Amino acid sequence: MVERYLQAIHCEQPGLEEPAATRERLRDAFPKGATRRMTQLGLLLGSVLNKLSPGEDDTLVYASVYAESRALEEYLVSFPSASPTLFQTSIHPSAVQQAMIARQQPVRHFFPHTGRAQLVAHAVQSALLAFTPRSILCGGEERGTWLRERGAASDSSFAFALALSSDSTGALAKLSLAPTDRDEGELTLGEFFAALTERRPLNQSAAPGLWLTLNWQ
Amino acid sequence: MTTTADVSPVRIEAAQCRTAFGDADATCAALVAGERALQPRPVLGSQGGDPVPLALAPGRSLDETAPPNWISVVKALAAEIPPAAWGSARYPVFVTSSNFGVGSLYAFQRTQVTEHLQYGTPFATVEFLRQQLGWGTNVAVLSHACVSAHLGLMCATRALQAGFADRALVFSFDFLSPFVTGGFHALKILNAGFPAPYAARETGSIGLGDGAAFAVLGRATGSAPGGAFTIAAQSLHNEMHHFTANRADGAGFSACLAPLVTAAAGRRLWVKGHGTGTIEAGRLEAETLASLFPKAPLVSWKGSLGHTLGSCGLVELAIVLAALRAGRAPGTVGATAPFFADTVAAESFSTAGFDSVLLTSNAFGGAHAACLLRHG
Repeated sequence: MVERYLQAIHCEQPGLEEPAATRERLRDAFPKGATRRMTQLGLLLGSVLNKLSPGEDDTLVYASVYAESRALEEYLVSFPSASPTLFQTSIHPSAVQQAMIARQQPVRHFFPHTGRAQLVAHAVQSALLAFTPRSILCGGEERGTWLRERGAASDSSFAFALALSSDSTGALAKLSLAPTDRDEGELTLGEFFAALTERRPLNQSAAPGLWLTLNWQ
Repeated sequence: MTTTADVSPVRIEAAQCRTAFGDADATCAALVAGERALQPRPVLGSQGGDPVPLALAPGRSLDETAPPNWISVVKALAAEIPPAAWGSARYPVFVTSSNFGVGSLYAFQRTQVTEHLQYGTPFATVEFLRQQLGWGTNVAVLSHACVSAHLGLMCATRALQAGFADRALVFSFDFLSPFVTGGFHALKILNAGFPAPYAARETGSIGLGDGAAFAVLGRATGSAPGGAFTIAAQSLHNEMHHFTANRADGAGFSACLAPLVTAAAGRRLWVKGHGTGTIEAGRLEAETLASLFPKAPLVSWKGSLGHTLGSCGLVELAIVLAALRAGRAPGTVGATAPFFADTVAAESFSTAGFDSVLLTSNAFGGAHAACLLRHG
């Protein structure tokens, strides 16, 4: 079994807020001029990540099913004159890169995950198997438009960032992962986010072979 | 600051790839012969556009179909994966890609044929793959542009070492579509010119290629048997300086590669570099490698195969293994002197006398990844 203690948690849950409103609301969290080309997901993730002051020695793990839905939509409709900015912005893991580039903050270990039903289990595994003293597990989505109507983009916007360490002092919760012989299991990003915001415990098979436990202190 | 590489060794039990030339042996032989797979093709496929150097898998069109026309290539490759209960509790799969099936979203946007949507998102693409290849659902999915495959290797290594897996399958793929060719063309680095990795010339250019590969990893136990291949150390670094440019001082390259100097001490190695054909990144990479590993010949194969994007780390690993089996490493096809460093090997060379290979990849955001392969 591997485990780490949750030392800090920050969440963003903007509901149906449009990207322009998010940009206006969060602009002070970023260096002047940095938000102009940031996506809504980049802004939301940047906002929660900034509060943890990620450093070069942290392991950074990112989980998103759809990632940059809006940039992807806009890039697709830019053809045949493809937009270079939207191309690079639409590529996973752009949201975290937007936030970290705005801070000019290098990081040695960065594991961007995607997927769906087993996404949380595998992202948590990367965070808990980190060799660094602190790992930061972040994730999120941004609400799409025309791709959402086709089932190919998120229907909600949210972001979270967790600071995880081996130090139990003052911890908010303990997150652990144990091997299991079970060949089934799932835990979606939305379900994980709900458990975080509601401070609800988790104790379940989250993927084949991976039993996830979240115990609040 | 953490300045050591991940030094938990894992054994490569099997590896294979597909490129425009075919499997790893065919690709290696073509590279040793100096052949170039890249051909000028319209950047947007049947929609036309400027001719740019692309290397597509045999018989494949840039235009997406539903189901995707790359699935036959993937299935032929997957048929060579050693049998196991892949995707079950003890046999996880680590799928890595930069683009997954995003070409299907482009096809949908262009044609409004809704069937394309079934393959457009990363999870939909992986679910399609999983069902086609008969895997269980223990499939971790990583996407970090052109270092994606290296992340799959590192996550698989850690899962093995931590006792979460008995064996691990890393599977990586990226097939071109107008989505990605149009994007790189818009960035102006995919143009009419052919790539010449590490060549000191005035204008840079890249080519793009289809690629897919797998590696089966197992825990290294005791001394490796003769002919065994072991990933002895791995290293990552993310500059987070600029989306498409590296720090001008090359600090990002050094930060990733320097930790591997210790792991490579006493080894006789050559380097399979990233070398896409861009000028500034090529110069920084070649100069840093020459500084840290001054006796190690440096090659890149993207002047022939094109850049196979998120799959390149694993595709090129499979070709390295083929080269070691054949006893001859391909040179830097498509490039001629003068080079950015005198370690660049334009021509093929014998692998006799070497016992290690350093493999590197780079990506958007100033991402760097490298691993040290030990053999013999």
